Amino acid sequence: MNKQDKHRILVVDDEPTVCKSIRQALVREDCEVDMALSGEEALSKDAERPYDVMIVDLMMPGISGVDLLKQLKARNPKARIIMVTGYPTMKNTLQSMLLGAMDFLPKPFLPATLRSLVAAALEAGNDKPEGSGAAG
Amino acid sequence: MFIRKNVRRFLDLPLRRKLILSFLIVIVIGGVLSLIVGMRIEHQTIISLAEAKVRHDLGSAWMVYEERLRSLRDVVRLSATQEFFRATLGQTDLKKVAGRLDGIRREFGLDVLNLTDALGRVVIRSRSADAPVGDDVSRDPFIALALQRQVPAGTRTVPREELLMDGADLADRALFRFVPTPKAAARAEDHEDKGMMLTAAAPIVDESGVLLGVLTGGLLFNRNYDLVDRVKEIVFKGEKYKGHDIGTATLFQDDLRIATNVLDDQGNRAVGTRVSREVKEAVLDRGETYVGRAFVVTAWYITAYRPIKDISGRTIGMLYVGMLEKPYIDLRDRVMATFAGIAALCALFLLGLLAFIARRITRPLAVIVNATGKIAQGDLRHRVDLKGQDEIGQLARAFNLMTDELCLAHEDLTQWGRTLERRVEERTRELRETQDQLIVSEKLASLGKMAAGVAHEINNPLTTILIDTHLLLERPGRDAEEQETLNTIAGETTRCAAIVSSLLDFARQTPSQAAPTDINGVIDRTLELLEKQASVRNVLIEKDLDRGLPPIEVDKNKIRQVFSNLVINACEAMPTGGTLVVASRMSRDGTHIEIIFTDTGVGISKENFPKLFDPFFTTKSFGTGLGLAVSYGIIRQRGGMINVRSEVGKGTVFTVRIPLADPEEGKHVEEAPQ
Repeated sequence: MNKQDKHRILVVDDEPTVCKSIRQALVREDCEVDMALSGEEALSKDAERPYDVMIVDLMMPGISGVDLLKQLKARNPKARIIMVTGYPTMKNTLQSMLLGAMDFLPKPFLPATLRSLVAAALEAGNDKPEGSGAAG
Repeated sequence: MFIRKNVRRFLDLPLRRKLILSFLIVIVIGGVLSLIVGMRIEHQTIISLAEAKVRHDLGSAWMVYEERLRSLRDVVRLSATQEFFRATLGQTDLKKVAGRLDGIRREFGLDVLNLTDALGRVVIRSRSADAPVGDDVSRDPFIALALQRQVPAGTRTVPREELLMDGADLADRALFRFVPTPKAAARAEDHEDKGMMLTAAAPIVDESGVLLGVLTGGLLFNRNYDLVDRVKEIVFKGEKYKGHDIGTATLFQDDLRIATNVLDDQGNRAVGTRVSREVKEAVLDRGETYVGRAFVVTAWYITAYRPIKDISGRTIGMLYVGMLEKPYIDLRDRVMATFAGIAALCALFLLGLLAFIARRITRPLAVIVNATGKIAQGDLRHRVDLKGQDEIGQLARAFNLMTDELCLAHEDLTQWGRTLERRVEERTRELRETQDQLIVSEKLASLGKMAAGVAHEINNPLTTILIDTHLLLERPGRDAEEQETLNTIAGETTRCAAIVSSLLDFARQTPSQAAPTDINGVIDRTLELLEKQASVRNVLIEKDLDRGLPPIEVDKNKIRQVFSNLVINACEAMPTGGTLVVASRMSRDGTHIEIIFTDTGVGISKENFPKLFDPFFTTKSFGTGLGLAVSYGIIRQRGGMINVRSEVGKGTVFTVRIPLADPEEGKHVEEAPQ
C-alpha cells in the first residue's frame, strides 16, 4: 500500500495537545493523519487534498465546529466527519447529526472508542468505489 | 366708625367678660332709669303728700281763725245783753261805764271795745279815757248792721285815723315799714299804717226792745302773735326740725306780714316783709287758695294761702300755713338714698349672680376648650366630665361621643396601619424570598454557564491524558508496576471525567427518572450506607419516621443524593459528636411530605445563612460547596423546598418539603446528555 493509497484523516482542534494525542491514537500504517488547529486551516488543507475522515471539535474560535461541518458538507456532501466536544448537549448532538456528521463523541474518550468510530467511517467510505480519493 | 370699632372690640372679648359686660350695661341702664323714674314718682308722692297735709293744715288754721272770730262775736254779743249796759246806757256817768267796758276788754284780751249810741255815734272808746268820742260811725258796715239788730263779725281794714282815735299805741302797733323783699310785687308806698282788725258788733236792746246802742269789739291782728302761735301750736304741735319750726303760720294784711312765726335770719319774727308776687296775684288778686312750694323769707316751704275777706267780700288779707320743705326733702333724699342703696345692692347681687352664672356657662366651655386642646395634642383618652341637661351638658356628651368615635376611628386606623405594616412586611419577605430564589436561579444559571466552560476546558486536557495514557498502556515491554501506575492514571482520569459529567448534569438539570417511591425506604437506604461513617464521628442517628406515608413520584437516586448531602452536612456540623434525628411526616395541610434533619451541631452563623445554598460556598476546608446547592436544585426541580432553622451553638434543622403531586409530570425536558 503506497502513500497514495493510505487513508487520509484530518484532526481539527484548537488545542495542539489534543490534536497530537488524537493523531497518536489513530496513527497506523494504512493511515495518514493530519492536524489543523483552526477551521480555516482545515478548509484550506481539505481543499488542497480532500480527506477520507475528519475529526472536528465542536467549540473553536473563528469558524466553529458546526460552521466547519456545514461548509465541508456543502463542498462535499459525502465528507465523513466525526464531531467531538467537551460539552456535549442534546442540542449540539442533534444539530451535528442533522447536518450530516458521521458520529458524535463526547470528550474525553478512550482511543479504542475513537478508533472503532473512525474504522466504521472508513469502512463506510470503502463501500463505494475509490471515487472520493480519485476525485481529490 | 367709632361705634363699629367698639362693637367689634366688644365682640372679640372673652365670652365671660362679654356676658358680664352685657348684663352690666342692662343693669346700669335699668338701674339708672328706674332710679330716675322712682325718684320722680317718689318726689311727687312726698310733695303731694306734703301739699295735702298743708292744705289740711290750712283748714285747721282757718278753723282757729274762725273760732277766734266766733269767740269775739260771742263776747261782744253776750256783753251787749248785760243788764248793766241796758241800765246805764243813756246815763251821763259814762266814766263808770267806760271803766266797766275796759274791764271786759281786758278780761277777754280785746284791743278795742267801743260803745255807740242808737244813732251810731261813738259814746265810749274804752281803750283810753281821753279818747275822742261823739263821732258818727253809723256808716261803718258793722255798726250799720248792728243798728239793724244784727250781730255781724268779720275782719276789716282799719285806717290809721280810726286807730289813732282808739289809741296811739294801737296805731303804732299797726304801723309797718316795709322790709325789702326780693320776690314781692312792687308797691308805691314804703310803709303800711292801716291795721287789720277782727271785729264784731252787737246791738244793745232794752227790755221793751228799744235799740239803745251798739257794742263793738275788735282785735288788732297787727303784731298780735296770739293767733299764729296758736295755729302753730294746735296744727304743728310745735314740732321742730334741726332747730327750725316745721310749721309756721302768718297773717297777711294785703301782701304784708303783720303777724307771723316765720323767723328772719336774725331769729326775729319776720313781720314787715311781704309775700311773693306769684302768691299775691293768685290769692289777693284772684281770690284763690294757693297751695305750693314757696320761698318764705329764708327757706323753702310747702305753703298754703287762703284769702281773708271783709264783710263785703273784698279780699283784704291772707291766712298762711307753711311747712318747712327741708324735712320732706331730707325724707325724700333718705328714701331715695335707701332706694338707690337697695338698687345698688340689687345690682351688686345681680352682678354676683351674673358672675356666677357666667362662670357656670364659661367654665364648662373652658373645660371643653381645654379638652379639645388635649385631644388635638393627641390625648385621645381625655374625656369631659360635665353633668347637666342644658346645652352645655349636651355639648359635653356630644363631645365625649365624638371623642369616643375619634378614638375608635384612631384605633381602627392604628390597627389598619399595623395590619398594613404586617402585610407590607409579609410582602417584603415574600418578595425577598422570591428574589432570593431568583438569585439562586441566577446562580444556578451562572453555574450552568460556568460548568459548560469548565467542562469544555477540563475535558480537553482529560482527553489528552486519557488517550495518551491508553496509548502508553498499548505499548508492550513495561513492568507490572508501570502498568499499574498507568492504569491508575487512566482510572482517575475517567473519574475526573465522571465528576465533570455530574457537574454538567447538575448544571443542565438532567431529567429525573421519577417513579413512585417510598421516601422512608430511601431514608433507610441512605442511613444504612452512612451509619458507619457517622458512628466513626461519634454521631448517633435516630429515626422518627411516619411509616404510613404514601409513595411519591421522585427520582430516588437524586433524593438519596439530597439526603446523603444533608446527613453528611449534619455529621460535619458535629465535629465532637452529637445526635442527628431524621424524621418524616405528612405536612399539616396534607399536601407535602416533610423530612426533617435535626442536629445538635455548631449551627449556622447569621452572616453565613444567606449563602447557605450558594454553589461553591463552604465552611469546610475539604468541601466542594456544591452539596447543598445541588440538593436545593434537586428539591426545587421537584417543586419542593428546603428550609433551614439554626441557632449557633445549639444546632440546625433542615426541613425538606416535597409536594405529593409532581409539578414536572408531563413536561418535556429540553436538554439531555447525548
